[in-house]
Amino acid sequence: MKASDKQAYLEEYELLKKKGKPFFPYAVMKDSVMALVVVGVIIAMSLLLGAEQGPKADPTTTTYVPRPEWYFFFLFELLRVIKPPELVPIATIGIPTICMVLLLLLPFYDKGPERRPERRPLATTAGILTILAMGYLTYAGATSGSPTEIDMKVAPQYKAGAEIVAGSGCLACHKLGENGNNGPGPELTHIGARIPRAAIIRSIEIGPSIMPSFRELPKEKLNELADFLSSLN
Amino acid sequence: MPKLSDLLVPAPLRNTPKPGEAGAPKTPAPQDLKSAPPERPTDLGRTGEKALEAPVEAMAWIDQRMAASGFLTGMLFRKVPKGTNWFYTLGSATLFAFIVQAVTGVFLAMFYTPSTTQAYSSIAHINNDVFLGQFVHGMHKWGASVMVILVFLHMGRTFFFGAYKYPRELNWVIGVVLLILTMTMAFTGYLLPFDQRSYWASIVGININGTGPIVGPYLSDFLRAGPELGATTLSRFYAIHMLLVPGAIIALIGAHLYLVVKLGTTAPPWTKADKPRVATPTSNLDAGVSGNGYRPDGAGPTIAGVQIDGHNGEGAPA
Amino acid sequence: MAEDADKINQPYRAPDQVRTEPPPPGYFEGESMTRRKVFTIASQAIGGLAGAAIILPAVGFAVAPIFHRGKERWEKIGKTSDFTEDTYRQVVFTETPGIGDIGKQLAYVRKSSTELGEEPNQYVAISNRCAHLGCPVRFVQAAGNFICPCHGGVYDFQGKRIGGPPVRPLDRFQTRITKGEVEVGPRYSVTSQLKPVRARDPGEFTGGVWEYLYPPRPSTFPPP
Repeated sequence: MKASDKQAYLEEYELLKKKGKPFFPYAVMKDSVMALVVVGVIIAMSLLLGAEQGPKADPTTTTYVPRPEWYFFFLFELLRVIKPPELVPIATIGIPTICMVLLLLLPFYDKGPERRPERRPLATTAGILTILAMGYLTYAGATSGSPTEIDMKVAPQYKAGAEIVAGSGCLACHKLGENGNNGPGPELTHIGARIPRAAIIRSIEIGPSIMPSFRELPKEKLNELADFLSSLN
Repeated sequence: MPKLSDLLVPAPLRNTPKPGEAGAPKTPAPQDLKSAPPERPTDLGRTGEKALEAPVEAMAWIDQRMAASGFLTGMLFRKVPKGTNWFYTLGSATLFAFIVQAVTGVFLAMFYTPSTTQAYSSIAHINNDVFLGQFVHGMHKWGASVMVILVFLHMGRTFFFGAYKYPRELNWVIGVVLLILTMTMAFTGYLLPFDQRSYWASIVGININGTGPIVGPYLSDFLRAGPELGATTLSRFYAIHMLLVPGAIIALIGAHLYLVVKLGTTAPPWTKADKPRVATPTSNLDAGVSGNGYRPDGAGPTIAGVQIDGHNGEGAPA
Repeated sequence: MAEDADKINQPYRAPDQVRTEPPPPGYFEGESMTRRKVFTIASQAIGGLAGAAIILPAVGFAVAPIFHRGKERWEKIGKTSDFTEDTYRQVVFTETPGIGDIGKQLAYVRKSSTELGEEPNQYVAISNRCAHLGCPVRFVQAAGNFICPCHGGVYDFQGKRIGGPPVRPLDRFQTRITKGEVEVGPRYSVTSQLKPVRARDPGEFTGGVWEYLYPPRPSTFPPP
């Protein structure tokens, strides 16, 4: 922002201020209404939703599925979708730190004199994309189920395979009926109709794209797993 | 009722002193009561007036010593720019949510025990036994969510209205630090109820800090006060949650509001000043600003007088 | 106060020589600049000393736990015959006494298996903390895997990572046999080749150059 732009802004602002109304009581009136709304919402939430305690903290649990409070879902989801171990520090420390530094220094790299959002296409687009990304991550984090349960009806001969699927963490990346997470892997609900049994086995052994290889699975378990998956159509 | 402006202005400076009281404000009262006790019922009007006058006198007494009325009138009656709308209430709403958190937090602290063996049962006690306990606990819990939402909405308004630009860059920086501190409050408040969610979320959160190279592992040890989450961790989080971070937040809110009053709130970016009444010769700034779509028609006389403090333009509304 | 202000507003006349600079803020008649400098430095030094006297002990107090290591604890978890080679048994034991349930830990314990290339007659005690960010992993008998319910980490029977984001195998507890009973001791971490190293927190890599990027902490016990 050039010195002349700064001067122009201050002059314009001075004029706008001259045309304005005093803070008290005009702006304070709006603030008071808003304060009443805020406390009303908080009281209503407190009365309707209460403050139920969960089960007592237990470091020795083997069944609890930890999930954060909603305002950390975006971070939770970020940690969940970034799978390669080498990228873990980037997800935990790197991305949040970079975002915070970018946010903190915003006025020092965005120095243009224009303030109207429609005339700042770059800033406005970046802002909207950030909101959409945060919203999407929050939604995805909120709806991601535990990767250890399969609720769908399974014929008895495929029960063993279903348990291997549930127990191998497949649902961390794949959706299966009502369970699992939609992505990054493809949905498995009808996988048998789309891919032949041999291809399923090959995928599990090789681990195409970002999917990890499950080569270490014993042969018989791999067969049971493939039986179950190819029965899904 | 006395007008608020009367309350804020010291008695000797008030515009219209009431007849008969301007010179001798205090002494006649006891005399009147003593000399004519039976007349008291008929005197109700005057005592009522005196009762109304008492807070004014008290304010005047305080103001004589603090001399704050000039500042207060300047702050309260400063002009907010034309076009100020409901979007501009988000900041004060955030402040209000913080006040709700502070007040409910103080009362929760009266019943809460930050010990690994008793924390869970003390929260159960608040919820089940204390009068209105679950209600106050619920207000604190959901107030946290409301405050986080309001912080983000307030930041979104500031971002899209370009309000972080000159001369308010510093206030944006303070605001982002306040956002980080708010998230720190949300995180440290997590552990206190000591249920499963508290415990595992804190484990994950501390380990996230630990993944920072070189200093990370020591930072985790510092947060936990040892290699494992234990008794000292809870008291540490409790101290951070109710002493350290709130202190920092209050100080920074003070600085944030000081700058708001000092620099003034922005107008919506679409609002333009109308053509001023008196057209004056255009200044040499023309060349610099005309590309901006700005008309410096009335700018000439005000260049030197441009002040960016909140006292500017104060006084009775025209 | 008003007098002081007047003094500031008066034109500045240097006592001995003519100076073009304006007087420093707060200048008063007959002030010596050397004296002012000494007072400036001294007030800052003394104030800083007082501040340090408050802050340093407080910070030391808060930071001390980083350098403190607790007493080594061993706890009996059962007879040697209670554990087999082909599956894990869940064992809950107290790691830090006196702080209630929170001081407990869970280990998955089995006998070492020569088939997997392990030394015979040892006991393997695997921690239930996921090596990604510390969520509680569970052992699933059907698949012979450990899986994490948070971000989807998967480990094999030995605790080696086979999928998901974990950065290293699952941590272990030291074990020893005393009079026919298995005891578990302090936790330690392992590299991807299952070589023991000092205990790390979840999310910290082990082995190679990572040993320097995530240095061992003084509060942990040396590996076996």
